Amino acid sequence: MNPEAVSRNRWGFPDLGIGVGLRTVHYPHILEASPRVDFFEVLSENYMDTGGRPLRVLDQVAERYPIVLHGVSMNIGSTDPLDREHLAKLKALAGRTRAAWVSDHLCWTGVAGRNTHDLLPMPLTEEALRHVVARVKAVSEILERPLILENASTYAEFAASSMPEWEFFGRMMEDADCGMLLDVNNVYVSAYNHGFDPVAYLDAIDPARVTQYHLAGHTNKGTHIIDTHSDHVIDAVWDLYRHAIRRTGNVSTLLEWDADIPEFSVVHAEALKARPHRRGEKAVAAAAS
Amino acid sequence: MPQPPLELPLPRIQRWMQAVIEQPGSAEEAVAATPARAELAPEDIGRVILPSKTLTPVERVGVYQGMYLLRMVEALEGDYPGVAHFLGDEGFADLVTRYAAAHPSVSYSFNHFGRKFPEFVRSSRVRKKGFLADLARLELLVTEAFDEKESPAWPAEEIARIPEAAWTEAVFAPIAAFRLGAFGYPVNAYLQSVKEGNHDHPAVGARPTWVAVWRKNYEVWRLDLSKPAYEFLRAIAKGRPFGKAVAAAVRGLQGSAGDQLFRWLRDWVAEGMFAGVTLPPGNR
Repeated sequence: MNPEAVSRNRWGFPDLGIGVGLRTVHYPHILEASPRVDFFEVLSENYMDTGGRPLRVLDQVAERYPIVLHGVSMNIGSTDPLDREHLAKLKALAGRTRAAWVSDHLCWTGVAGRNTHDLLPMPLTEEALRHVVARVKAVSEILERPLILENASTYAEFAASSMPEWEFFGRMMEDADCGMLLDVNNVYVSAYNHGFDPVAYLDAIDPARVTQYHLAGHTNKGTHIIDTHSDHVIDAVWDLYRHAIRRTGNVSTLLEWDADIPEFSVVHAEALKARPHRRGEKAVAAAAS
Repeated sequence: MPQPPLELPLPRIQRWMQAVIEQPGSAEEAVAATPARAELAPEDIGRVILPSKTLTPVERVGVYQGMYLLRMVEALEGDYPGVAHFLGDEGFADLVTRYAAAHPSVSYSFNHFGRKFPEFVRSSRVRKKGFLADLARLELLVTEAFDEKESPAWPAEEIARIPEAAWTEAVFAPIAAFRLGAFGYPVNAYLQSVKEGNHDHPAVGARPTWVAVWRKNYEVWRLDLSKPAYEFLRAIAKGRPFGKAVAAAVRGLQGSAGDQLFRWLRDWVAEGMFAGVTLPPGNR
């Protein structure tokens, strides 16, 4: 744990180090080899409605490693009512795993009771900001902890938007007193898709509210980039990460790999590439796992 | 000359975008289809979504619309590998497209999305419908057993401790992750061949089959049963007193039926299908 980072974070959330997303294909390796990983991030919804092997594995992993919960279906930007059942189960899961924090995305996933299971973009308007702030406050009260929200990759921009995403995020965090899971790859992807300066985005974010970083690979289609989590992190994203972490100090950093997932050692080695970019940490061999 | 942005209320923007995303076909067709048109005239899309240097407003929304059905297909492929294998990529995607339109996901979790798939298959126009509906039903039982809450299995050695006088009234309780199915086709044999990567699948002609599905040591198991075994196991699992279940079962068996029934019960208990037994007062 990095004491400097502890002192910088708005809520004193610790720097857990460099983590990896917990994925089904890696269960056997993690349970048998107990790789030296600083923490695991868990996709919350995958463990809310199952009583079988996934939950058993999660319990075992939570006994050995720090856990953070990361959701994709809070639907915080939707105009539907908050899903109280989802939130109750999320709170229970956070307690069960002793999660260091709970995160989701600044997005909406569906309306009229439906779920598209996608992270859909918000119009960046005053109306949307008021709406989201009220809901973040409500969720934080229900969960009895600050909510951490991630910037999603976006592929469409609304003509009615009246502010850039970084301003929306900053005002939302200030007004609702929530934190940020800063996905550096998503900043790169959205900057490419919308033509803004990714460094300007990073420089506008309050470092004290950055609780976690995400890194991932993506797929460049030429005309746009899709956030596929299917490859290694590109150099330009590592450059952005290095820039961001100079501002925030060492903050818990996690690598996501969700499609064409290679063996655990490859994923972990990719995550450990973050180490030389962090303050006071040297590169380590991939064999650390 | 560019027109000013349309400042639609947030609920309407979201209803429109979801209507486009859920619509099959091309992005242009989705934007022009009735559900989306009810919220926004297609010619006004440029007043809601900005173009990028490389993509038109329709193409940008189309990025989301194109990924929607792929995600639904991928989710159901995981739950219904047998049906997906039988229909092939194109046939399965077509069926899921129709299913998602009829039963869009209404839960935060994909775990619930496929729960109505077997009944949908049975009511759909699809080849070998009866077989496919039964196969889907078996695969749903597997999913249910996988996700059920944990309930410890009754230790096999406990069966020897039941007093002789208590057997008639003994009531067995299955574990939560236990399911039974009766089918009109050999769906378990077909599913097994798919899971083994066997290209020489068994014939899928109509033939009654019976299958027990349960979870043991966090793995889901399937066991083909004879009709008498199925009916005996079903009676016990539904909480019928053991004596009555035996009396009903022996009518369908010949010879040393009692021994056969007890061997079955012992095997099922050893396989971890039961969570416990309730004995009559004075025998607990």
